[in-house]
Amino acid sequence: MEEIKTLLVILLSCVFVDNYVLCRFLGICPFLGVSKKLNQATGMGVSVTLVMLLATAVTWPIQYFVLNTLGLGYLQNIVFILVIATLVQILEMFLKRLSPALYEGLGVYLPLITTNCAVLGVTINNILDGYGFLESMVSSLGCGLGFLLAMVLFSGLRSRINERIVPAPFRGLGVTLIAASFISLAFMGFAGIVEKIFA
Amino acid sequence: MKKNIKNLLVFLSICSVIALLLAGTNFLTAPVIEKNQSAAANQALLEVMPDADGFDSVDLSAYTLPATVTEAYRETGGQGYVFKLKTAGYGSDMILMCGVHASGTVTGAVCLSSNETLGYEKTYGEGFKDKDAAGVDAVDTVAGATKTTGAYKSAVKDALNAALILGGADVDIRTEEEILADNLAAALPAGEKNFEKLFLYEDIRSFDAIYRATNGAGYVFVTGDTFVGASADGTVLTEGATNAEAVKDAVAKITATAFEEIDLSAYAELQKFVVSAKKTQSGNYVFETKGAGYGIKGGNEWHPASGEYIVVRVSMTEDGRIIDCLTVSEGETDGLGDACADEKFYGQFDGKTEDNYGEIDGIAGATMTTDGYKQAISRAFTALNTLKGVGTNE
Amino acid sequence: MSDKKASLATLTNGILKENPTLVLILGTCPTLATTQTVIGAVGMGIAALLVLLCSNVFISLLRRVIPESMRIPSYIVIIAGFVTVVKMLVQAYVPSLYESLGVYLDLITVNCIILGRAEMFASKNPVVSAALDGIGMGIGFTLALGAMATIREVFGAASFAGIAIPFLQNYKIAFLTKAPGGLLVYGLLIALVYAVTHGRAPLKKSFSCEGCVHAANCHVKSCETKGEVQ
Repeated sequence: MEEIKTLLVILLSCVFVDNYVLCRFLGICPFLGVSKKLNQATGMGVSVTLVMLLATAVTWPIQYFVLNTLGLGYLQNIVFILVIATLVQILEMFLKRLSPALYEGLGVYLPLITTNCAVLGVTINNILDGYGFLESMVSSLGCGLGFLLAMVLFSGLRSRINERIVPAPFRGLGVTLIAASFISLAFMGFAGIVEKIFA
Repeated sequence: MKKNIKNLLVFLSICSVIALLLAGTNFLTAPVIEKNQSAAANQALLEVMPDADGFDSVDLSAYTLPATVTEAYRETGGQGYVFKLKTAGYGSDMILMCGVHASGTVTGAVCLSSNETLGYEKTYGEGFKDKDAAGVDAVDTVAGATKTTGAYKSAVKDALNAALILGGADVDIRTEEEILADNLAAALPAGEKNFEKLFLYEDIRSFDAIYRATNGAGYVFVTGDTFVGASADGTVLTEGATNAEAVKDAVAKITATAFEEIDLSAYAELQKFVVSAKKTQSGNYVFETKGAGYGIKGGNEWHPASGEYIVVRVSMTEDGRIIDCLTVSEGETDGLGDACADEKFYGQFDGKTEDNYGEIDGIAGATMTTDGYKQAISRAFTALNTLKGVGTNE
Repeated sequence: MSDKKASLATLTNGILKENPTLVLILGTCPTLATTQTVIGAVGMGIAALLVLLCSNVFISLLRRVIPESMRIPSYIVIIAGFVTVVKMLVQAYVPSLYESLGVYLDLITVNCIILGRAEMFASKNPVVSAALDGIGMGIGFTLALGAMATIREVFGAASFAGIAIPFLQNYKIAFLTKAPGGLLVYGLLIALVYAVTHGRAPLKKSFSCEGCVHAANCHVKSCETKGEVQ
């Protein structure tokens, strides 16, 4: 019971309180770039969640069973980024083969994910936070879902902004960032809630 | 194919060059990083024991220490110990660091992390420097932040005890509640460790307190340090009890208590503030009365904008002496006025009369709450006087 | 003479005309995440500058050796390697900066500016220009981060580089040091750059596919959308 509680706290914290995009500023590029339309935002969000889970499932054992045992902790960064790049390639190939329909939906976003700092960030953070394997997987799921949530919410907001007349200097990125600031402000309201729910 | 292999070889050689570069840097920086990290870890320890040469971590599993102690370090020169403590403050947990010299004085105390509203914990530790156990006891808690500073103070005391234990001494680290619970359980094992304090309707004040086993197995009578257990039918279970007769008598009185509800419909004035009124068959009165709490005091009492009443249950003899008193409900400020629900406060009214009930010690930093509480008590006297047909002073 | 001029242009290009943060809009994550304090921001800028310089030089040296098909993985490995070197050096000699930058130091690896410069400039130019480009871009990045951190720290925490500013103490806008404040200040700065340059600076061309590291393996669709949005 206690373990389930811990996992739930991790999950909800990652989705709401420590939202990767809005509170930790990881994965801002796709957040600003691919959130114009709802279907794109969803596709990107799902792909990121998928890659985060896969990457954690592979990097966690590598860190603990290979790098740590051999005393090669300083290769973490290189190994993790190569693992992520390789995983993305493999996932892309698989999707292309097995489900062309899904590939059509997600495939375009996959290459963008290799250098998405949210994915590298989540794998490194899981190690830094000292999470066990299960906790790491839950935290990755939470971060992915948090990313998806932020993307979907923001795409809704942006479709409204696009219908409005914005003063020239703010057109484009300016107003987008300021809108993102307000969503981020709203997410600050979640601070402290999760711990209290399970207290 | 050949080209692919060549490409791969180039890539692999780049990888190995970079890996070599990293290994070299690591070789150079690793010792420096390690030194930095141990220096940083010692920094916080040095802050509370500035004269220390170095520290060794102590394995806590070998000792039974107060629950607040989370880490312990022994000064390598035998000067004393440093403890990391975790205690519940007003808002959330406070993490403290406290150094204790081998001679039993505090070398320093700091708060490493906290989330308290008023921030007293940031400087409160300075007052403990160079104090021994008695000196620590004498440090006052800060009025208005009793929860924060009280927790801080008891954590420092825990550190002093922990140092004695690590030094090989045998120290009772039980809290007051735990000691009470242990004593109760020893006096009446059949009570299965579940006891509640009995609200007294009869004037059996020859005891300091009476506890009832929630499973109905019997009662425990406390006088000073002696705990006397009695079964529900009044048989004294504790051997050699000097007050066996009084205990038997008291159990009989407790079990015989019966109430008669008093109809207040004829007393419109009383109905405003008396929630219920009862009379026991022995002629004592039991009132539940309302006093205006902090939130109400500010506004119109009968049409309050906010706030709750303090509801108090008072039993008193027919001639106007309080037998027992209890806070039924209150909505006072956390950490301040809510101290009125603490027995340390309302216990003061026991044995008081209309002439001297005002002499109790008020709650520090919560004058309005104290006044509201006294108002509730005074109304119980008013009710008593009215029901007895004597004039009222409300 | 013209050589000197060209070198100077390469150097200043990154500082003003193609400022990676404010004009090319690259490296947004560290821009937002590490600009709560001036010291953190400048530290991040210098760390990125070092990585950028080293990786640019290294890649430029190897530009004839690295096979086309192994380009991106090789760059990533080289960059990740230098990031780790810089990280270890910072951890050893500036531990306080290491504490405050945390995971963002590791994430220089995926900073688009560095991979972008490797792909767009270092792989096509001789060592000296690549080094100058790296320094220019690095300084531009550091300056932009420093400017943003100055705004956030001075108005948000009433201090500059950790030194308290006395007359502002009672007028802190604490919101600016929090996450939403970062987004807001960045948005306002970009609008300011747009207003000052009359919209000439953030040309679509500069930061659409050409400036994007994904350009090589990107299927156009998403990239075009990205350019169009901006």
